[in-house]
Amino acid sequence: MRITMLTLTSLFILACVVMLPSFGQEAQEGSLIGKQVYEESCAHCHGLEGRGDGSGAENLLPRPRDFTRGLYKIRSTESGQLPTDKDLFDIITVGMPGTSMPGWETSLSTNEREEVVKYIKTFFSGFQENEKPPREVRLADKIPYSKESVEIGKGLYVELGCVECHGNLGRGDGTSAPTLVDAWDFKTWPANLTENWNFRGGSDPEDIFKRFIGGIAGSPMPAFQGDTFYHFGLTPEQSEQYAALEKKVEDGEELTTEEEELAAQYFEINDTAATAALDWAEGLEMSPETLKIYNDAMKVVYEKSWHLANYVKSLSPEKRPEFAIGKHVLRSQYIQGELPALADETWNTLEFSYYPLFGQIVVEPRQFNPSIDSVNVKSFYNDTEVVFLFSWDDKTHNTSEEENEETGKTYQDAIAIQFPVRPPKGPTDPKPYFLWGGKKPVYLWQWKASAPDTLTELTAKGIDKAEEQEAQGNFAVESDYTDGKYSLWVKRSLKTDDKKDLQLDVATFVPIAFSVWDGGNGDIDTKRVISSWYSFVLEPLPSTRRFIYPPLVALLSFGLLVGLRRFIQRRNS
Amino acid sequence: MKTKMFLTLTLFLACGLALFVFADNQEEEEEKNLLVFPKAYKTKSVSNGGKINGVVKFDGEAPEMKKLEIVKDKATCGKVDKFDESLVVGEDNAIKNTIVYLMDITEGKDFDAEAKKPEIDQKNCKFTPHVQIVPVKVRLTMLNNDPVTHNVNIADININKQQTRMIKRLRINAMTKPQGPVEVKCDIHGWMRAWVAYVPHPYFAVTNEKGEFSLENVPAGTYKLGYWHETLGNNNKEPVTVEVTAGGEVKQDFTLKMKK
Repeated sequence: MRITMLTLTSLFILACVVMLPSFGQEAQEGSLIGKQVYEESCAHCHGLEGRGDGSGAENLLPRPRDFTRGLYKIRSTESGQLPTDKDLFDIITVGMPGTSMPGWETSLSTNEREEVVKYIKTFFSGFQENEKPPREVRLADKIPYSKESVEIGKGLYVELGCVECHGNLGRGDGTSAPTLVDAWDFKTWPANLTENWNFRGGSDPEDIFKRFIGGIAGSPMPAFQGDTFYHFGLTPEQSEQYAALEKKVEDGEELTTEEEELAAQYFEINDTAATAALDWAEGLEMSPETLKIYNDAMKVVYEKSWHLANYVKSLSPEKRPEFAIGKHVLRSQYIQGELPALADETWNTLEFSYYPLFGQIVVEPRQFNPSIDSVNVKSFYNDTEVVFLFSWDDKTHNTSEEENEETGKTYQDAIAIQFPVRPPKGPTDPKPYFLWGGKKPVYLWQWKASAPDTLTELTAKGIDKAEEQEAQGNFAVESDYTDGKYSLWVKRSLKTDDKKDLQLDVATFVPIAFSVWDGGNGDIDTKRVISSWYSFVLEPLPSTRRFIYPPLVALLSFGLLVGLRRFIQRRNS
Repeated sequence: MKTKMFLTLTLFLACGLALFVFADNQEEEEEKNLLVFPKAYKTKSVSNGGKINGVVKFDGEAPEMKKLEIVKDKATCGKVDKFDESLVVGEDNAIKNTIVYLMDITEGKDFDAEAKKPEIDQKNCKFTPHVQIVPVKVRLTMLNNDPVTHNVNIADININKQQTRMIKRLRINAMTKPQGPVEVKCDIHGWMRAWVAYVPHPYFAVTNEKGEFSLENVPAGTYKLGYWHETLGNNNKEPVTVEVTAGGEVKQDFTLKMKK
């Protein structure tokens, strides 16, 4: 009897224990597959309970999403709305460029991805509570890309205050950039709009448009909710008149009765439209009249948003530049006479060679959250000298080590250009270790933002084994930081007296590599972004013999043909 | 015998696990610094209600307020010195910006007209007031009296609206459910902070510079009196019980300490 009682009690309690976790997490609708896939593939970063606190989270920036607050960055839905299932599925499928979130298209089956979407939704109760499906952003009436549209968008970029964070030219260097944090108080950076291959949710005008209308939830990026536009609801003409009246009032001038009436009328139109926008945002029942007011007013907002999306699109190259390998090797071009100065327009005749950079994660301290995408290089040489123009984007201009409560500890920005001390004799001759050499030493040019007109020559036999050369070479150095972009101009003679320096010969391929430090992102010492070895060559002048041999061959062929014709004619007659 | 031992063991394990799960949940609740609301609230006309007032004071030596470093739009934002307002202690250790409220009132007066038009001003890159009570289903108005662009970011309710210098008044979507207090931020001026509590009934007060609060026209009855402060926490676990008599006046002071 007692055993039966005990069994029953135990069973009861066991049942309770089994049920308990499901009380905590609402109904666990996600199937077993979803849970299993999540725990195997997602939980390491996103955490077992979806709080974005997995074991890998600490080293990642942007942090893995915390799913428990219902704040999703990349959505096709309007401001304040949850994402659709398709939004979640798509992000899982393609991943998020510029972050640690990979695409899972090849490693998870369609079914597995669908199931994991269901499971992720169990982490936030709002998904179950919502009776209506989330409202999607209307993409109809798209304004196609054109010069005119881009020009209008450019004006809006300033008017709407995009510059505050994204900077004058969109490089993410706005004056508010260093202090931005997300809804979890983690550091976050505004997007560099000139590198759209890093946009988290895609780079098409449609993608950009959705980010405007829907916002990027949990980030400092606001959503366009109609009433955030100046004189929402008024036609351009009305807005102009109203603005003039407002200015009069501001200047302390008296309005005439008529003007006063007009101003009141415009105020009313604006207020009614704004109220309609709020009704819409709150999901209230709207009368057909109010709905019409809202839709009419939003037309202007959508138009403006398309122009702005086209402008943002215009800031990046049409596609990501090709990496500087193969036919894109850095080829220094010969010019006769004086080499071009930093601001010389001659530079515009050359295309950049694009070197992608990545975080240094081999040696402590590591950089898991690189902030610099790439470095671009151009070069010219003449009979005695070579000149380089290096440029790279950096959202913050740091010229010294600083400690600030808002931005934390920052260091000075820097770059180092790396060559082997002796170029390899051929393609099979091994290069030095790419991280500042090893047994085979490397030769470095280091530039720091605190001394913008000097370059230091180093010799290194390892990433932490660099030494300044005793005999410093003769360099002409100029640099510039404007609108989130560094330009560094370096001129040196092709040959030097120092045996530890690299000597340059025409047509010899020289390995080249880069290290860049973004002090505003905490880069110092080995914590930095790096490249692997690429190649650089002083492009030989096309030989003058091309003017001799081809005509000679042509002449000979012609002569032969004429001879042959004569010979045949003679034989026939 | 063996069965019995096995069962006892299972029982122990089960109890342990149950305790663990419960304990874990409780910890989570404690972490959040939120208000307590009644499940439902009904308005009725209240005549001859009672009054609850008092003063909120700081226990110990108040830490000095940190001066904020203005790194942006200095011409506008740097006009007036600004301080971190997460704890404002005035004369006689009076604490400003504490919410004092009734936790469990289910019937009482309606919001007055003033309370239905809540505003937060943005002037010299500072939110005023620092703590604002907003009734549910009422839209909070943000004023921009600065010649610079602000953005109003209330992540907890998933709202982030840009308010350029051209937009003098901007309303924030109303909430249907009581919640908060939620934090209001301006990302453009990272130091700007305010708090908004979305509440279902009007028995909420925010202490002034002298630490004073007053809840008026409370129907006679026994209530739980709560407080909330952004830095010093709340008394959700140990609310004070107050007995309000018709036309009477209850005095209830609070002394708050730094959280450990």
